[in-house]
Amino acid sequence: MSDSTLKPIDRRRFLETMGAAGAVTLAAPAFGRAQVREVKVGYILPVTGPLAFEAQLALNGIQQAVDEINGAGGIKSLGGARITLLPGDTQNKVELGNSEAARLIDQGVTAIIGPFSSLVAFSVRQVTEKNKTPFLLLATVADNVLEGGLRYTFRMQPNARAMATLTVGNMIEMAKAAGTPIKRVAIMHEDGNFGTTMGNHVEAFAGKMGYELVQRVPYNLRSPDFTAELSKVKAARPDLLLISGYYGDSKIIAETAGKLRIGVHALVGLANAAYSNPRFIAENRELTDHLFDGNYWHNPQSPRARAVFEAYQKRFSSVMSNHGVQGYQVTFVLKDALERAASTDREKVRDAISKTNLTDHILTQDAIRFDEAGENVNATPALLQVQGAKPVVVGPARFVEAKPVFPVPKWKG
Amino acid sequence: MTWLFFQAVVSGLLLGGVYGLVASGLSLIFGVLRIINFAHGAVMMLGMYASYWLFVLLGVDPYLSILLTGPLFFGIGVLIQRLVIEPNRAAAEHNQLLITLGLALFFENLALVLWQGDFRTLRVSYSGASFMLGDVLVEVPRLIAAGGALLIALALWAFLRWTDAGKAIRALSEEQEGARLVGIDVARMRGAAFGIGSACVAVAGALVTPFFYIAPDVGESFNIMAFVVVVLGGMGNFLGALLGGFIVGLAESLGAAFLPGSLKQLVVFALFVIVLLLRPQGLFGARGGR
Repeated sequence: MSDSTLKPIDRRRFLETMGAAGAVTLAAPAFGRAQVREVKVGYILPVTGPLAFEAQLALNGIQQAVDEINGAGGIKSLGGARITLLPGDTQNKVELGNSEAARLIDQGVTAIIGPFSSLVAFSVRQVTEKNKTPFLLLATVADNVLEGGLRYTFRMQPNARAMATLTVGNMIEMAKAAGTPIKRVAIMHEDGNFGTTMGNHVEAFAGKMGYELVQRVPYNLRSPDFTAELSKVKAARPDLLLISGYYGDSKIIAETAGKLRIGVHALVGLANAAYSNPRFIAENRELTDHLFDGNYWHNPQSPRARAVFEAYQKRFSSVMSNHGVQGYQVTFVLKDALERAASTDREKVRDAISKTNLTDHILTQDAIRFDEAGENVNATPALLQVQGAKPVVVGPARFVEAKPVFPVPKWKG
Repeated sequence: MTWLFFQAVVSGLLLGGVYGLVASGLSLIFGVLRIINFAHGAVMMLGMYASYWLFVLLGVDPYLSILLTGPLFFGIGVLIQRLVIEPNRAAAEHNQLLITLGLALFFENLALVLWQGDFRTLRVSYSGASFMLGDVLVEVPRLIAAGGALLIALALWAFLRWTDAGKAIRALSEEQEGARLVGIDVARMRGAAFGIGSACVAVAGALVTPFFYIAPDVGESFNIMAFVVVVLGGMGNFLGALLGGFIVGLAESLGAAFLPGSLKQLVVFALFVIVLLLRPQGLFGARGGR
């Protein structure tokens, strides 16, 4: 009985280690040298299942950071203790997230990184709070994940509110500088939790920023055709079309908008899964040219970010994605806290994280600092535009690496 | 806002053609085997991957790939029927239903293991082609998909109507016992029906790849619509499925253009429930290859 229930888990874990071979090779030598103190860090990511591809990109970033830390002599305040990464697979399922988090806590991890989904985070945070274990969120945007007086949960990345309002704000500022101010805005968003939240922020933000929201179109993610929706948008004559969606839907929308001669100054993704995705750009060169996207990104002005990128490229033979950047940086937030805590005690590490003031990072923001709720107060998405088949930072002004092409000629009616 | 209306009508018809072909296959399988094939969308997904890989690895145009994927998926369909469906024919109907659901999950997870969860898109030179009909946009790949789907569905209809094998399949869907008594190889025809249904949906998958995306769960969106279409057109009614496809396509598109929010899905499913309540035999009557 117990045998038959264990087997599928073993198989799953086997698959997962095939995908994440690095995790095992990292863990193995650490077990061999028990006399060296180690810091156990757990991750819970959907490394199998529908989000496997993206989760792997984040995991690559985490592994690169761990190797860099261990290679440079581990955690110095702990006598060179090395970080050991313990894997957890959620398959993007709530119940697996909980059980994997509980298992990792059982195995003595100092902190947990994950879980790549707001829904899973909502549930896992109860496990980590109850067990007083620091939980560093990764790829979790829902605004209310940190609500409810949490003590051990922290979010480095911009939440939905920051993502929506700062992206639109950056866009409006950039348009003003380019001499083509934006007055009329339309948004198409998928009708799930993510898209609806973004839509709500864009609607609420209209009064403050002085634009008019002329059309708001929620849509079903799986719909095979958006011609009618986009025709409706076109009829409202917006200056700007914002799109908050996932991969396939965003692709079809961009394509149809172009053919319809939608007549906007720019098409802008809000934390869009496709528009700054290197793979999407590589597969759709012409279509993606000059698309904007507000997303988390690295700071192109930072020499360290460039070095990290080169190392990633060499090791994984692909461009470091925004998820890779987040995985990498969140690991260094933990490393910084461990150095200051000089302890693997969860409570002490939690206190150290809450006092973070990290300026040596690779993100497009000022120092990483957390407020009472655990939000990174300076979290800022970059405004990106696809130029020459790669996303370049065109805002905020202090991080810019290229001049924006705006208004974009190809969307003109 | 007349152009918006015409735009919605054109988009709806183009989408409806594809729905029609997907649903025709499902309807045929239901008519002959009396099972609702939940794996239909998953087979479409496999067809899309087949076209994708034929293009990426061998440079075969997705439309030309139909010549390969059609026969291939006919074979796969026959095999599925032989190995999985037929041995359970004596089982209760809900068991057969669960078997096809299991198949769907199996195929989707197989695709996940083989090709990961990431989306793929297939760009061909004509992917972006379009023209204006007055103020109305017509996308060439969608036009080809709808036209191709219509042609194939009509060819299939002719096959069912005028060939011996087609007549045998129709006879089977009308009256199983009778068909056996007049000497029709019933088991073989059941296999053929499943094969044809699978080939239909795989071909539909190939037709949409130039403008769609490919992922392991991509079949689901078409699967649900195909059920609605089949119910609308009458379970087992082949031409009804084709017409039902256009109706659902139109309802979706007009709903998107003139209703607020994401109500368009609601329109389609409301139609589904209303038809089931008021006309359970479907708008065009159930059964047979009429």
